[in-house]
Amino acid sequence: MSTEEPRVIKVFEDLLETPQNRLVEQASQDGRIPIGYSCSFVPEALLMADRLFPVRLHAPGVAGTELADNYLSSLVCSYTRSILEFAMDDRYDLIRGWVTVPSCAHMQRFIDNLEYLKRPDFIHVIDAPRKVNESTLKWHEEELHMLADKLSSHFSVDMGKASLMKAIDEWNRFCVIMNRIGDLRKTPNPPITGSEFHRVVMASLASPKDLILPHIEAFYREIENRESTRKYRARLMVVGGHLHDPEFIRIIESQGGLVVADRFCTGSIPGLIPVHVNGDPIRALAEHTFEKTLCPRMMEDFDRRLNNILDTVKEYRVDGVVIEIIKFCDLWGVDSMPLVSALRKVGIPVLKLEREYRTTGEGQLRTRVQAFIESMGR
Amino acid sequence: MILGDIAHRARSFFNKIPYAAGYALRSTREIVHDMTSLSNKDFLVYAKYWLLIWACIAKLVVKRGPGFVRELARYPWMLHLLRVTRLMRRLCRGRKGLYLESICMTIYTVSTTLAENLEDLFYHQDRLIISEEMVPPDIARAMGLKVWILESMALLLPFLSGESDLKYIDEAENAGVNPDSCSLPKATMGMVLKGHMPKGLAMLSSNMPCDAGMASYSLMEKVYGIPVYRIDAPYNFYNERAEKLIAEDLLDMIAFLEKHTPGRMDWKRLKDICEGRNRMLELELELWDMIRIRPAPLAAEAVFLSHMWHVNLFPGHPTSIKLFERLVEMARRNQEAGVPATENERFRAVLWNPPFPHFIDIFNYTERTYGVTVINDSMTFHRHEPVDTSSPDTIVHGLGRTIMQGPMVRHTRGPAENYLDDIFRTVKQFDLDMVWVANHVGCKSAEALNGMLREMCRERKIPVLILDYDLLDPRIVSSDNMINQVEFFMENVMRAGRLNQQDRPA
Repeated sequence: MSTEEPRVIKVFEDLLETPQNRLVEQASQDGRIPIGYSCSFVPEALLMADRLFPVRLHAPGVAGTELADNYLSSLVCSYTRSILEFAMDDRYDLIRGWVTVPSCAHMQRFIDNLEYLKRPDFIHVIDAPRKVNESTLKWHEEELHMLADKLSSHFSVDMGKASLMKAIDEWNRFCVIMNRIGDLRKTPNPPITGSEFHRVVMASLASPKDLILPHIEAFYREIENRESTRKYRARLMVVGGHLHDPEFIRIIESQGGLVVADRFCTGSIPGLIPVHVNGDPIRALAEHTFEKTLCPRMMEDFDRRLNNILDTVKEYRVDGVVIEIIKFCDLWGVDSMPLVSALRKVGIPVLKLEREYRTTGEGQLRTRVQAFIESMGR
Repeated sequence: MILGDIAHRARSFFNKIPYAAGYALRSTREIVHDMTSLSNKDFLVYAKYWLLIWACIAKLVVKRGPGFVRELARYPWMLHLLRVTRLMRRLCRGRKGLYLESICMTIYTVSTTLAENLEDLFYHQDRLIISEEMVPPDIARAMGLKVWILESMALLLPFLSGESDLKYIDEAENAGVNPDSCSLPKATMGMVLKGHMPKGLAMLSSNMPCDAGMASYSLMEKVYGIPVYRIDAPYNFYNERAEKLIAEDLLDMIAFLEKHTPGRMDWKRLKDICEGRNRMLELELELWDMIRIRPAPLAAEAVFLSHMWHVNLFPGHPTSIKLFERLVEMARRNQEAGVPATENERFRAVLWNPPFPHFIDIFNYTERTYGVTVINDSMTFHRHEPVDTSSPDTIVHGLGRTIMQGPMVRHTRGPAENYLDDIFRTVKQFDLDMVWVANHVGCKSAEALNGMLREMCRERKIPVLILDYDLLDPRIVSSDNMINQVEFFMENVMRAGRLNQQDRPA
């Protein structure tokens, strides 16, 4: 495979080196308010109103979680342990508010321990339902109203309709450009690799959108008309939970796979879709939350999750699916079992990988991916 | 080839004979020892319940006739149920008087209600629905449906035979379920995958109590291919808004059942069931009022097994009410006579998180060895209000509240205070000396609170034992290891000498 790489990608790489990158620092110095959030059920656009901006909680380069293990235990998923470790180590010192969703037991207990250990001035838990119907949508809408009111009174920010519409516009602009880049991956010879695309996505999730948008646009201009000369053996789709480190995808691609579709918590499918407002922006954000997430926490969505994978496989001409699960994740651990069976039943090769939050066991990962690609006859 | 196979089987059969003989000999010796250590009166009480339980089993088998063999082939785990009197004997070790009788009676009522539930499987498949453990069966029963709680056997069997769930756990893991998830959904999924569970007309599930349990119903749905209704209990539930949401959910569930089953809501019947539930609650609170005083007149299985089985699976059932009436009566008689349940009640403990189904003997072992009495536990302790039965609306609201504030559900939802404050509340309410945390390795929600709990207990000077184990899988932490943990805690933290040397339960 050729090592050609777009020039602008270096910018995104740099932005992923620390949990609070230079754009976060710049915005904070300008008097803006960074809100740390996790996970995908938090509506980013709501946190983009007025002086607020969302920063996805990630722990780049985490080396160990000794402090967090004392509280969360070593049997909890390493993502929550890593971000608690960083919080205990004051690596999120610029973050002025925390907004989370008890999307799973691990996330829920992360919030509890964070509150107990750090006693943040502003912390809010969105009680997101686990199934979607008129009653639960209404419930979620009320939850978002409560969050907006609390943000408004605590930070003295404007959470009115006009301010929210402006934030939603900015979010939509971001989604449109990201989707244009994503669409390039449908071509037979995509101009970017999966790991490059993921760098852009992750850097964007961890930066103020207005400050990173020019870089994304420059990136798009650089690659839009480019034809790749890279050789690959199989087009792959990665499915699963939190995946922050692009290195994981790079290792997969080093074995001849090309990751063309990313259907995981921090991926673009269906995470980066524009918000359609038809009346109340908060209602639109409530509906959008459930459209852009495909997490096994949603009890009635198994078929939607499966069909989304099947549609993506067709659309992106995927040869095989890699399911990545962070060790101890009960939601993905249990849900993946019928998922794997259903995919294999329709003839889609599947590789299920258990992993840690930080990328480890590179040799083992290479071997398994290599064997998987070979098993596909590629 | 065939001859070789026959020879191999014959050889392995004969090889097993000495082991089987050894086992029979040991068991006989154990039975003789257990029985001779009972007083004459206790022996008569024990013998009475022994006979009643076997009569109940015989009735079930005789009534089904030759068809019972077919049922046994379909539900092979029923063989483990024959060990019920052995469980009773194990639990009666070292116990006497009314305490012993309360345990015998609890096991007997578990047997009779289970036999009734098995008859639902044998005779009423046309009205059978399957339900997840956290969905109270009251509503479906009021609709004239028969309810089979899918998790009930995975939880009950290890009480009878410690290793009975292993093949089901392995089945689920081999099919691809993550080995680190809770063994209860794993064993239940294994039973479903092996085809050892009934297939009902419809299925009720929920987002409770944990992620693995909730996610397992995607698999059940695929295997059974029957309609499913899932209740969604909110995260923050101590408010009217949540009560309204869950009440709407329950009404939708009733509509779902009316659509997919022959069941029709009978509000009068639901009112009767809820009134029975309320009566049980009243009796249970009366029992707790008595056991909070030192020394407790009843304890351990009489308190938690009765709640676990009867309140969760048979609320409002006449047998359940009768049991609670008898427990209260026995506790009162003991209290009036100044007779403690445990002869040497030196330490009073609360057990937090599920008990140890595959090693339930640990409680009477520690009673006899260190005088530790388990007074209450997290699966039992609650602060429910009774269900207001004045109208269908109030009943649904009351049941919704009962679901959300029930044991396990309230501890796995909402902020950590829901879990931690309850521990300190029980310590105060029941005048306890220590907290035992049943640290089930598959329960991440509780694992992740141990750090906070340890620090809070230290601040309050409450000794805490975090006892590692796996809910249903003794391969993860053996019974010997569990006893070692208790002994280490009692001798090094509590500085408590042994009352007398006891043989470790096998």
